[in-house]
Amino acid sequence: MNLAPAEYLLPSDSDHLELAERVTARQACGEDSAVTLSRHIYDSFDWRLFLAGLTLEWGLSEAAAADHHDRCASTPASVEDGQAALVVPENGLVLTLREPRDPSAAPVLQWSALEPGFLSEMPDGPVRERLAGLLGIRRLLPMTELISARRRLRLLNEDRKTVVRLVIERNRFRNPATGETGDLSARLRLKPVRGYAREFTDVEQWVRNELGLEPIEGPQVLEALTAAGCRPGGYSSKLDYRLDPDQRADLATKEIHRGLLKTLEANVEGARRNLDSEFLHDLRVATRRTRSALSQIKEVFPATEVDDFKQRFAWLQQVTGPMRDLDVYLLDLPALEKRLPESLRDDLRPLRGLLNDQYQSVQAELAKALESDPFDALLRDWHAFLDAPAPADPEAGQPGTSQPSSGGDSTAPPPKRAQQPIKQVANQRIRKMLERVRSEGRAITETSPPEELHELRKSCKKLRYLMEFFQSLYEPARIRGQIKQTKVLLDNLGRFQDTAVQAQHLRETAEAEGCRDGGIPPATLLAMGLLIGQLQDEQARARSGFSEVFRGFDSDANAARFDALLSDGKGRKRQIGRR
Amino acid sequence: MQTIALYSIKGGVGKTTTAVNLGFLAAAEGWRTLIWDLDPQGAASFFFRIKTEVEGGGRALLRHRRVLEAAIKGTDFEGLDLLPADFSYRHLDLELSRGDKPKRQLRRVLKPLAQEYDLILFDCPPSISLVSENVFAVADALLVPLIPTTLSTRTLEQLDTFLNEKLPKNAPLLLPFFSMADSSKALHRAVMKSVPGQGRLVLRSVIPETAEVERMGLHRMPILAYAGDEAAVAAYRGLWQEVKDALPAR
Ligand SMILES: Nc1ncnc2c1ncn2[C@@H]1O[C@H](COP(=O)(O)OP(=O)(O)OP(=O)(O)O)[C@@H](O)[C@H]1O
Ligand SMILES: [Mg+2]
Repeated sequence: MNLAPAEYLLPSDSDHLELAERVTARQACGEDSAVTLSRHIYDSFDWRLFLAGLTLEWGLSEAAAADHHDRCASTPASVEDGQAALVVPENGLVLTLREPRDPSAAPVLQWSALEPGFLSEMPDGPVRERLAGLLGIRRLLPMTELISARRRLRLLNEDRKTVVRLVIERNRFRNPATGETGDLSARLRLKPVRGYAREFTDVEQWVRNELGLEPIEGPQVLEALTAAGCRPGGYSSKLDYRLDPDQRADLATKEIHRGLLKTLEANVEGARRNLDSEFLHDLRVATRRTRSALSQIKEVFPATEVDDFKQRFAWLQQVTGPMRDLDVYLLDLPALEKRLPESLRDDLRPLRGLLNDQYQSVQAELAKALESDPFDALLRDWHAFLDAPAPADPEAGQPGTSQPSSGGDSTAPPPKRAQQPIKQVANQRIRKMLERVRSEGRAITETSPPEELHELRKSCKKLRYLMEFFQSLYEPARIRGQIKQTKVLLDNLGRFQDTAVQAQHLRETAEAEGCRDGGIPPATLLAMGLLIGQLQDEQARARSGFSEVFRGFDSDANAARFDALLSDGKGRKRQIGRR
Repeated sequence: MQTIALYSIKGGVGKTTTAVNLGFLAAAEGWRTLIWDLDPQGAASFFFRIKTEVEGGGRALLRHRRVLEAAIKGTDFEGLDLLPADFSYRHLDLELSRGDKPKRQLRRVLKPLAQEYDLILFDCPPSISLVSENVFAVADALLVPLIPTTLSTRTLEQLDTFLNEKLPKNAPLLLPFFSMADSSKALHRAVMKSVPGQGRLVLRSVIPETAEVERMGLHRMPILAYAGDEAAVAAYRGLWQEVKDALPAR
């Protein structure tokens, strides 16, 4: 049986010297040299490990750190410095994956001299195995550093053999991004020595009864993360609003925009530094949703301002486009390679090389845009607009005369729907967009050009966004059902569109490169041609599946469900009235 | 997981002393290490002050894996565990002779340990037996201490022949090194000079014969844990480095 270590919080005023004296008075002790240990805690930006109940540490193992200290024969780096200024011997670096919710679960260890990043680059081993499927294409980022100075006592039996380890630990954190440091709570740890369970239990009881300490199931990592300003699990690109159906439409819409802006801003830094491709993806989705909300939630804001912001967000969408295209191209490449017969796969390699060559300059352009004045100004102005006090309620005063935020606009008529209840606006907008999707979809025949499907996809996306913005205004199961139904249609249109884009990418590359001196070799062009053919086949399959998918969307049953969703007096409004 | 056996047909050549010190060094670098004391005299267990009785007795033997797990003891050094001699002798022989492939049994016994340890060091008794044949079949390397005399180098030849006959395809790596060397003796000097020249690989690190190593029995711990500035300490570190370099990458 393997016992789990026990951990206790030490009060901030506790005297560690005296504590050690009490331990040594109880039982003969040996002592190992003190060590200062630095562990970096990693997670993805969207906290996939944390949400799965895991924490990943990377740093020297304690044994290696102790050996290193001893051999340097210098005093251990002081924890007060806030950093363990160690020259790290590479072969002692270890990845430790813990499951803090289950303290008896043995941690998964893997030696790795390589800083964690993408899973695909991590050396093979049990940690990588355990993380497979969890991280996708997200990069592991250093979230906080936990620095622990340990005094290490060994409790001995009558043969002077170690039977329990007792550690008195002072802790600090360091924020890897800002360098900021600070204190964390001190801890006492008991570590069982294998094969000496009875002795461990005795000491455990003594610590509880005589020292008056209560064991904590201490995810110490959580303390270090919080101290460094992290909010584990705090990021999600999913829309999750709690709107009040009777809220004024302009205010509710600002709330929607504020949520989108928060997501957008959260991703700027990661996209600028290209930490992984999801940052830019989420940034672009937030931008697209913002544009969609600006144009689809009509007549709630002054038209001149809406037009201005629409233009500026369109600019943002445009300057972030080339990098996203390249990301998609590169992400798709392995799947494209698999489509080719094995004998031809190597022929595609020059294409990857070409894309990688373009990568740096395209990324540099993106970074420049995200550091530019227009971008700064956009965020600043958009914040100012969203945070400006709302125009007064017509019942409370004169409409239009008391708009402090837009003095120049005071003569313009107030937006028509600004004061309407948001639920009313939501119903109207969803209905409108639903009608558009239906009529566009019905107009599509076997011979319609691809542009029409593309247009339908755009409308369909707008419908989906509207339902997602306003989700909280409706009966939860119903709205979820309708969003899902819409996604089925979107998936079909997406497959059609994505294969078209892939084929187009290949064609454009081939045309640009084929006639260039020192361009990609003929064998690669041939392989690309083969791929284009295959993609076109797949596109044709998606195309032929369209009419059936659309028929499902356009069915009487689905229309009835939309009616039930949008008919007044149903759903959230009544529930709230009842309370 | 890597497995290294300290092995020699001859007795008293420094097998146990080396196993104990290399185990200490490996654990100090963070390798999760197990020393498996296969010698009924339990010298390795003695060095770690571990009593060599196993609880559970014969009945529990039926659930072999649990007995094995329960028999392992932590040492004074973090990351370094020991499987006492008693386990090996009261139970292992019995276990090994069961089944239809008695020379392959140890592999099965080792399997559950692969997750727990990065390194297993076998401290073998000086004999050829069912136990040592099992060890040969699982070890990545045999580390063979040679006292620099002509006699000891001859037994190395014999071992080499034996391994190649028994395990023609997957004989463990043979890593001989000079142990208990006394450079004041002309014979030692001559042997150490000539043997590597005969086309045989001998590790460069030489463990000198010193009084401090002998005193390990008084301290009851690896020399590396208490003596800092000692010729033998540097020699063991050098030896460990060479062994690591010779092993396939972790
Ligand atoms: N380098 C050395 N210098 C001095 N004495 C040594 C040295 N190495 C080992 N000895 C001593 O030699 C004796 C035998 O050493 P050790 O037990 O390590 O050999 P062994 O090969 O394991 O023996 P056995 O075959 O009996 O198991 C011990 O008393 C030990 O203290
Ligand atoms: Mg021995």
